[in-house]
Amino acid sequence: MKNGLADSIRRTFAIARNTVLEAIRNRAFLGMGIAAFGLVVSSIALSSLAVRDQAERVLVDFGLAATSLMEIVIAITMGVILVFKEIDRKTFYLVLPKPIRRSEVIAGKFVGLLGVLGASLLLMAAGWLISLQVKGISIPAGVPQALLLVWAQAALITSVAIFFSSFASPVLSGVFTFGVFMVGSSVTVLQELMQARKGMLATPGPARLIAEGAVAVFPDLSVFNVGKELILRIPVTWEYVGASMLYCGFYCLFFLAIGALVFQRRDFS
Amino acid sequence: MRSGPGRSAAHGLIPFLVAAGHREADLDEIIRVENLSKTFRTPFRRKRVDAVSNVSFVVRRGEIFGFLGPNGAGKTTTIKMLTGLIQPTAGTVSMLGGGPADLSVRARIGFLPEQPYFYDYLTPVELLDVFGRIFGIPARIRKERIESLLTQVGLFEARNRTLRKFSKGMLQRTGIAQALLNDPELVILDEPLSGLDPVGRKEVNDLIATLRQQGKTIFFSSHILADIERLCDRVVILDRGVTKAAGTLSELLTSDSGEREILAGGITDVSGLNGLDGVVRCETYGTDAVRIVCESAASDRLVGTLLKAGGTILGVNDRRISLEQLFVSRTIREKSCPATDNEGEVRGVSE
Repeated sequence: MKNGLADSIRRTFAIARNTVLEAIRNRAFLGMGIAAFGLVVSSIALSSLAVRDQAERVLVDFGLAATSLMEIVIAITMGVILVFKEIDRKTFYLVLPKPIRRSEVIAGKFVGLLGVLGASLLLMAAGWLISLQVKGISIPAGVPQALLLVWAQAALITSVAIFFSSFASPVLSGVFTFGVFMVGSSVTVLQELMQARKGMLATPGPARLIAEGAVAVFPDLSVFNVGKELILRIPVTWEYVGASMLYCGFYCLFFLAIGALVFQRRDFS
Repeated sequence: MRSGPGRSAAHGLIPFLVAAGHREADLDEIIRVENLSKTFRTPFRRKRVDAVSNVSFVVRRGEIFGFLGPNGAGKTTTIKMLTGLIQPTAGTVSMLGGGPADLSVRARIGFLPEQPYFYDYLTPVELLDVFGRIFGIPARIRKERIESLLTQVGLFEARNRTLRKFSKGMLQRTGIAQALLNDPELVILDEPLSGLDPVGRKEVNDLIATLRQQGKTIFFSSHILADIERLCDRVVILDRGVTKAAGTLSELLTSDSGEREILAGGITDVSGLNGLDGVVRCETYGTDAVRIVCESAASDRLVGTLLKAGGTILGVNDRRISLEQLFVSRTIREKSCPATDNEGEVRGVSE
């Protein structure tokens, strides 16, 4: 059993390693480097336009939001393409007959993409922190926690993208994943609207039912957004980060498990 | 019953297996396919397409087994079921004592898909390294085996070039190298000779022969008949998903002709023989012999006639036909009346 787990991890990491290698060879990191440089330049330019005393706020808020958005874009685009490309190019014909479980292939793709997201996050964060330094703004204490949460959010979205790509085309998977991201980002708003005294969601009816369903099923992505805390210099505790990571881990496991189940039953004809 | 000293565990197991209903010969079976079928449904109209129907065969240890058929015969579909890429609609596949999904079975199989597609951003060394890691081959052995395999398939000089710069023949060789990476007991090759020039084909043929000498079992599909005839011990001919012929080459090539060849001495006049019932043709052989090709059923009677005429029988043999003749007779002649299933739909899909 112990050997079985070690073997499984070894096979998963073989796929993960190849996924990272593919990103490097396809010059994905070059694009990420350019994006990071763009972030530095645009942050500095934006902060110059800001109202006096608001430059710090703009730089901190914009930097974190841009990093987060970039991570989501990478997670969706790469997540929906990774599995599909292997099916479309028939490279899976060489991999799947080897002694590897299809769930390990899915897990390997996910772990590899986490590595790519981690590397791109570091590049973007470096650009962001450089722009703060250039403007003489002290780096807020909660930056490592905030970055970890951005990464966790991207991981969750990656798992959603891989889940959809196990049975749908890249375009559909992209649309569905973006949909999950939008609803997930709006869960807090939906909850507030349901608790309000007036409005469509305040009273019982089909709209409220749908909203209740969405709140129950979709991940609440606001958990991973600590931009306000950073601006207001409110500490983000590691306990909060840990709990958020657990929340992320649960959803990742859920989506990857269903994705692997669908992938397991798939014919490669 | 306890095994005596010096008896291997496997030897002690044989009576048990026999008692349990297994034939002793089963231990030599590497692949057993029974009534294998695959039906696809067309995307919108959901029409049934029977790609493979009730195919059965056995591949034994150490033999080269040829899987023959025209394009669209169902060869690749069958191979995909053997390798677990698609699930059969009906029937069973047993390989090396397990099923296609067993990891321990897959670890002992090497597979080359038809027209293999690779991660073109990798070099052959990196590609084999990824697969070596999946197989769990230790780093040092992996490195040595990769170098040895690339030398064997003639790609050592190109080992650091990315696969996107490889020709079709080079990619095919890379595919063969990856199929042999785990030193497999069973090698499944789907059209291994396609895309190769005559020199490349000869090299792959030699490689297959070498693998047999090493005791490996080879299952390979092809429609290059000359290579199948030269290499294979047994074949299955598939057409539109249905088995058209199966057996050893000598059985198939002699039984299918339905003709015998009689060599008779002491007779030089062939004109009288040509008119005899059952004689297909007759010709002089050397200075005082004749060779008579006749229908198998008429051979005994003709032998009697020749002996009465004062001749001596030098030999009677079943007449062999070429594999090409067999292939054509079992496949092309039926093209004009396509096989249909119970629902009246045409069998077979493109592979």
